[in-house]
Amino acid sequence: MISLHQVSKTYETPAGKFAALKSINLNIEAGQFVGIVGKSGSGKSTLLNMVAGIDRPSSGSVAVAGTEIHGLSENKLALWRGRNVGFVFQFFQLLPTLTAAENVMLPMDFAKVLPFRERRKRAVDLLERVAVGAQADKLPATLSGGEQQRVAIARALANQPSLVLADEPTGNLDSVTARAILDLFRDMADQGTTVVIATHEADIARVIDRRIEISDGTLVNQ
Amino acid sequence: MNTLWRKAIRDFWHERARTALVVLAIALGISAFAAVLSSYAILTRELDLGYLATNPASAVIRVDTVDDDLVRAILQNPEVSDAEPRRTISGQIKAGPVQWRNLILFVVHDYGNIRVSRLVPESGAWPPANGEILIERDAFQVAKAKIGDAVKVKTANGVEQPLVISGSVHDVGQAQARMENIVYGYINLATLVQLGEDPKLNQLNILVAQNRFDEEHIKRVIANVENVIKSRGHQVLRTEVPRPGKHPHSDLMGILLLAMSSFGLFVLVLSGILVINLLTAMMASQVRQIGVMKAIGGTRWQIARIYFGQALFLGIAAVIVSVPLGIIGSRALCRYMAYFLNFDINSFAVPLWVYVLVALVGIAAPLIAAAIPVLRGAGVPVRVALSNFGLSRTTFGASAFDRALTRIGGTFSLIVLALRNSFRRRVRLALTLLTLSAGGLFFMLALNVRASMINTLDHMFAERKFDLSVSFANPYELEKIERAVSNTPGITRAEGWFITEGSLTNRFSVVSLPADTQLLDPEIIEGRNLAPGDTDAIVVNNALAGREPKMRVGETVVLRIADAESTWHVVGIAREAFSPAVAYIPLSFMQQLYPGRVNSLRLALMNNDWDAISVVRTDLDRNLEQVGVRARSSASTSESRFAFDEHMLMIYVFLIVMSAIIGGVGGLGLMTTMSLNVFERRREMGIMRSLGATPRVVWLMIVAEGVAIGVLSWTIAALLAWPISKVLGNLLVRVIFRSGLDFTFEPLALLIWMLVSIGLSGLASFLPAWRASRATVREALAYE
Repeated sequence: MISLHQVSKTYETPAGKFAALKSINLNIEAGQFVGIVGKSGSGKSTLLNMVAGIDRPSSGSVAVAGTEIHGLSENKLALWRGRNVGFVFQFFQLLPTLTAAENVMLPMDFAKVLPFRERRKRAVDLLERVAVGAQADKLPATLSGGEQQRVAIARALANQPSLVLADEPTGNLDSVTARAILDLFRDMADQGTTVVIATHEADIARVIDRRIEISDGTLVNQ
Repeated sequence: MNTLWRKAIRDFWHERARTALVVLAIALGISAFAAVLSSYAILTRELDLGYLATNPASAVIRVDTVDDDLVRAILQNPEVSDAEPRRTISGQIKAGPVQWRNLILFVVHDYGNIRVSRLVPESGAWPPANGEILIERDAFQVAKAKIGDAVKVKTANGVEQPLVISGSVHDVGQAQARMENIVYGYINLATLVQLGEDPKLNQLNILVAQNRFDEEHIKRVIANVENVIKSRGHQVLRTEVPRPGKHPHSDLMGILLLAMSSFGLFVLVLSGILVINLLTAMMASQVRQIGVMKAIGGTRWQIARIYFGQALFLGIAAVIVSVPLGIIGSRALCRYMAYFLNFDINSFAVPLWVYVLVALVGIAAPLIAAAIPVLRGAGVPVRVALSNFGLSRTTFGASAFDRALTRIGGTFSLIVLALRNSFRRRVRLALTLLTLSAGGLFFMLALNVRASMINTLDHMFAERKFDLSVSFANPYELEKIERAVSNTPGITRAEGWFITEGSLTNRFSVVSLPADTQLLDPEIIEGRNLAPGDTDAIVVNNALAGREPKMRVGETVVLRIADAESTWHVVGIAREAFSPAVAYIPLSFMQQLYPGRVNSLRLALMNNDWDAISVVRTDLDRNLEQVGVRARSSASTSESRFAFDEHMLMIYVFLIVMSAIIGGVGGLGLMTTMSLNVFERRREMGIMRSLGATPRVVWLMIVAEGVAIGVLSWTIAALLAWPISKVLGNLLVRVIFRSGLDFTFEPLALLIWMLVSIGLSGLASFLPAWRASRATVREALAYE
């Protein structure tokens, strides 16, 4: 499903060059629930960004579901992401002027896979699936953190992606809510979706199939 | 409606205060544009319609005399549709104890059957009975009379007669009486006889049958008519072919409206700058949202569409606000122009194309202005957008300029902080300064052009050393005139001149004056002035030199003067601003043709105030009558100056209104900028508050920042005012009057605009400052 070959990423900073990833080789099978674990600044978000096509490697290649994404243009990457990848952020990142349902409909409007009339129904179905169906017409500011993250997960599933990536999805939630969110990811993986989350949560082992540890831009334990 | 449009609408509403400011600024620009465009459509239609409704003559031919046989002979030409005889003579009119006013009398043979250049009765009697006179509606102010008043009228060769003003008419094709300082009167043939004039008509108003708007065709037909007139033993004295179908003032109005349209577009461009500022700030504040949208599959174009959608809403809202405003403005402008040019507007209907064009421009302008910030914002890489930097990664202190700023003032103070803050968003500052400085620049331009025009007129009138000029209908003996002058107290110097016409390729005035004249001191810009002993020397003014390429210093030209050809050596070119084409020749030439006679008098007076001039006029008139000399008209230099000032007034008003609107847009721009600056620095203000800054200090800091921008804009405007006023003022005056400007700088403009810019910037930053100072520390610190 995911194949990274000799991927390196170096940033130019005012203080000089900074190597965020160093010759990473990684393969992830379809339907796996993978946790990338590491300290802050270890490179786990950069690794996730490589897989999502949010960032490009300085060298090496990235292939996801048979597509060599490192060679795609920004626009093609966006279209590809919209149809193949669901992304969940640490701070939920719901658009504040759209309701919960509209936030979920947004990727559908971008990808235009689903007919326009069916989008609202699917958005509400997804919200019900993550147990926030009653909040469908509320604005994000009126929702709790856990509810917002559930909406964000529903948004990630909008176009039925084969891959869901999540960057610290529980980092801003209390432990009970975090546990419930991780269970949702587990459910997704059980239904065949590949799930990769970057986290420094200690109790993630409970739900994941595979743990990958990263330190100073290098995989130390696959 | 998909979620992208919903986001566009809700973000638009979320930012409603700032959005309203920008909508207002764009609306100002579109309103100005709509007002001018509608006025253009209405005025050009109504002016020409009103003019065409009078069935204007294709040509006016002045002959020695017109009789019915001549008219019949002319009408036998199938290319001539109509030929109507009239007479135009000069005279003077006096209502009550006021002084004599210059009068042009139109004599119409049959008021019941005016077919060409029709008059429109306004009020009172129609047609005028014997012993009655109708006055053109715009001339009542000049005559200082009203319907029913008894007036005295005298013509050049007739006797002074009392007449009654029995009504008013509208003569669409005449120049405005107020500006020309002349009275237009309309009488019948019997009244003309009462005035002591021969009952003859000497003017033919000709209307061609086909191709009425083809000037070349008209000229061909009129040449044939002239041949018919000459073949029947009549003399053709002068032929005028006006621009077919065009009111005499349509060109002037067109130029003014063109200048106003350019200004409307300029204001629109300035308001577009506010759109750039607003959308740049909006994109910067939403950069993380942009990153998220890209991360979940939004392409650059899909995201750009949201923000273009907002620009579209800005445009639509501004168009909705501005169309009624523009229509109201257009009506005011049309009424003013109609009053100014003395014509009626029958319909204020605005054609559909104006609405379409205004809507297109109004909607397109914000979209175009939005292009750069939107494409730039939507194009930010997703990783950068999701980072903390986004579009605002530039931090204060990185450049040498920032470091230089830190040296200003030395120790920390509120002003220094305000100054540094104003330079944090350089592009926004530059765009804001552009609008504010443009307002200042236009204001200073307006006052500088006004001062320069006054200066130019001062120079022009300083060349005229006479206070009063008197014209005679016929050449009179100078000796008689001098006798009348010597019997008139208050005159210090008098010179007899001879004014006639000359022609090379076109006609021009010829002023024949004593070579050692003390009453005219022209500014010679090339060659020399006339000198005693000159016989065939000619000095031309710049208007004539510009029109006739042969009129160059050192050239010899053959001119037709007083119905005979003569050879002249061009010895000099005189600069005369706002003057028609004039040539100056020695009086001795005309004295050969009319020995001892002149047809014009120039007088220098002891006192040149209105009352003194009026007394001299009355005395001189009486004394001239006593020696058998009849003055056709007289004009004081102050009256001529007044007429010029009236013509200039419209330009001053136009420039001041322009600068007020641009200043308004600049003020709204500054308000938007300050609002954005405060919005983006809320957390920073929270920190200041937590460190002990009182709300008043925060308020003062923001107002000081606004005032710093105001002062900066004033400095830029002040530095540019001189060169730009000089170039643009000269261009404007050259286009309208075909004459240069004696430029002068108005220092008062600097002072006034400094006060205005400080006041405006203080006002513009007051509200954002007040709101920021009212926010609690917790609210301010909580802002991300």
